[in-house]
Amino acid sequence: MSSRERILGRISSALKQKSAPLPFQPRPMFPPVGDLAERFAAECKSNYTECIFTASAAETQRTLCELLNSVGTGDVFVEDVSELRLRVNSSRPLIWSSQQPAPETSMVTITGVEALIAATGSLLVTSDCGGRRGTIVAPVHIAVSRREQLVPDIESALALVEKEGLPQKNSYIGIVTGCSRTADIEKLLVIGAHGPKRLVVIVEG
Amino acid sequence: MNPAAEFLRQSADKSADLGHRKIIRWNIGHYDKAVDKGRTRYADWEAARERSAQIKQEAVENMDKLLVEFEQKILARGGHVCWAENAQEARQYIRDLVVARGVKRVVKSKSMVTEEIHLNTALENLGCDVVETDLGEYIVQLRHEPPYHIVTPAMHLTRTQIADLFRDKLEGVTSDDPNELVDAARRKLRAAFFAADLGISGANFLVADAGLVAISTNEGNARLSTSLPKIHVVVTGIEKVIPRLRDLGVLWPVLASVGTGQPVTTYSTLIGGPKTADEIDGPEEFHVVLLDNGRSELLADLEQRDALRCIRCGACLNACPVYKNIGGHTYNTTYQGPIGSVLTPHFRGHDFDHLSYASSLCGNCTSVCPVKIDLHHHLLQNRRNSVETDQRPWTERLAFRLWRWMMMSSTRFRLGSRLGKLGYRITKKLGLDPLKPWTAYRAAPDIPQKSFREMWRDGNV
Repeated sequence: MSSRERILGRISSALKQKSAPLPFQPRPMFPPVGDLAERFAAECKSNYTECIFTASAAETQRTLCELLNSVGTGDVFVEDVSELRLRVNSSRPLIWSSQQPAPETSMVTITGVEALIAATGSLLVTSDCGGRRGTIVAPVHIAVSRREQLVPDIESALALVEKEGLPQKNSYIGIVTGCSRTADIEKLLVIGAHGPKRLVVIVEG
Repeated sequence: MNPAAEFLRQSADKSADLGHRKIIRWNIGHYDKAVDKGRTRYADWEAARERSAQIKQEAVENMDKLLVEFEQKILARGGHVCWAENAQEARQYIRDLVVARGVKRVVKSKSMVTEEIHLNTALENLGCDVVETDLGEYIVQLRHEPPYHIVTPAMHLTRTQIADLFRDKLEGVTSDDPNELVDAARRKLRAAFFAADLGISGANFLVADAGLVAISTNEGNARLSTSLPKIHVVVTGIEKVIPRLRDLGVLWPVLASVGTGQPVTTYSTLIGGPKTADEIDGPEEFHVVLLDNGRSELLADLEQRDALRCIRCGACLNACPVYKNIGGHTYNTTYQGPIGSVLTPHFRGHDFDHLSYASSLCGNCTSVCPVKIDLHHHLLQNRRNSVETDQRPWTERLAFRLWRWMMMSSTRFRLGSRLGKLGYRITKKLGLDPLKPWTAYRAAPDIPQKSFREMWRDGNV
C-alpha cells in the first residue's frame, strides 16, 4: 500500500465521525464599495500605488512617455499586445514579451491587467500579463488598464477568474495590492523589498 | 535536560530579560494598532470570522475528497504530487529530486512546514546552497536560529542587532536605517533568485475546485522563488486544502487582517502548475509535497479536530500573555504560542505536554482566532490527556493524591494546613522553597497568622 493510500485511508476512517456543523447566518461582512473608480483611487492612495486616470489612448500614450522619461536607466520591458504596441511610444529601446521574458536588468515593466479591484485597490494579473516575471521583476511596474475593467471586490474578481477560465489558460494568477513591502525589522514599514518599489496604474476611459 | 525542565529554565531567563520584553512589547504594540485599524474596514468582523471558521470546517470535514480533487487538477496540468506520511518521506522526495536534477542552489520563500521537516539541513547535507528569501527568515538564517514567530520570524531583534549582523555578513551597510538594511538584503538575495535551480515555497491554501496553490507574501519573494528557478516545489500540510476558489474572497482578507492588519496581503498568488506551452516564463517542473506527519491522527480526535482549521496567522501568539513574556524560542517547537502548545503534543508526543500547562487559560487566544479554534479548552484537554496517560512525574501524581486525600476530611484539612504553614516556613529558611521559580523575581506574601477557619471561629469574618 502506498503512502497516498495510507494517508487517505486514515483521513476517511477519521471522518466517519462528523463534527457538529458550525452555524453561520449569511450577512454582509464589508461595507458597500460605493463608486468603483473613486474607491479604487482612494485605496491606491493608501497602499502606495500611483493611480492615473486618462481620457483617451493618446493621453495614455503621453502619460507613458512622461513616466518612462522619469525613471532611471535600465531595460524597458513591455507586454506584446496590440493595445500596448499602440500606446507605448518611447525613444528608449523596448524589449517586447514576444522576444524574451523580462530580464534581470529590467528597470520598468509595462503590462496590462485582467481586472482592477476597487475595494482593495488591487490589480488582477496572470502570466498572460507579460509572463510571471513581468509584474514582479523590475523596480517600477506600470499597469495599463481600462475603466470598464473595474470590479467591486476580491470575490467578484475570483468570479471573473472562473468565468473567463483563467486557471485553464494560466499557470499563474495573482492579486497585486500595492508595492512590494516588508515590516520585518521592528515592524517599520519599508516600501520596496524584492518586487517593485513603484507601482503605477493607468486607468483609461 | 528534558524538554519540560529546559522550558522552565528558559522561561525564567526570558521573562526576566527586560531588553527582550521591551522589543516584544514594541513589536506587538505596533501589531495591535495595525490590527485595530484593519478591523475598521469590516462592517461585521464576527460575520467574517464565522464564515471563515465555517469554510475551514467544511474543508476539514471533507479533507479526503478535496485533496483528491486538488491532486487530479495538478496532475492534469503536468504537475507532480507527493504524499508524505512523515518528515522523513517528505525530505526523501525532495532529496531525490535534488540529486536527480543536479540542483546546487535553492531559494526558499517562507514555509513553516519545511521548518517542521528540517528540510534546510537535509539539503545542505547534500551540498546545496539554501537561501531563505523572506527578510525575517533570512535574518534568522544568518544567525543560525529557528524562526521566533510563525509570521514575524525576527520579531525578537532590534534594528541595531540586525544592522550589526548585516555589517558582518553583507556589503554596503553603514547605518541601522531599515530602508538601507532592506536594500542590502535585496541586492544579495536578488542574485540568489536569478542563480537558483530550485525554488521551494509553502502554501497558505490549496484550492480544490480550481486546483491552485495560494501563497501570500508582502515582499514578493515567493513570486520570484516561484517564477525564476526551473523547478518549483511546494511543501505543505494536508490541512491547507479548501473547497472553492471563491472562499478566498473571505479567507485572503481575513488572513491579512489578523496577520498584519492589512486589507489584503500585497501578493496574493495562485499557482496551478509548470509553465504552459503558451507561456513565456515560469518553472518547467512543478511538485507539491503533501505532508501528513500526525495531522490525520489529530483529525481522528473529534474533540480537537478544529485545530486543523488553523491558517497560521499568528494572532494567538500575539495575543498570548505567556508568549509575550517567554518569547518564541523558549517553546523549542516549530509552531509557537497557543496553537503550538495545542498541536505539538499531537505531532511530537508527550514530551511537549508541559506546554499546555504554560497558560493561565485566559482565553484571549480563542477570542482572537479568525477560524474560531477552541484553543484554551484544548490546552485544558491536553492536560487531562497527559494525566490520563500517566505522563506526569510521580512527585506530581503523589502530591495530588495526598491533596485529594487531605481535602476529603475536615480534620485532615485542618491538620494539613497547619503542617503546610510550618513546612513552608522551614523550606523557605532552608532555601528549598518549592515556589522559588516564582518568588525569585517576586515578593511572596506572608502566610497570615490566622486561617480563615480560625477567623470564622472567632467571629471575625
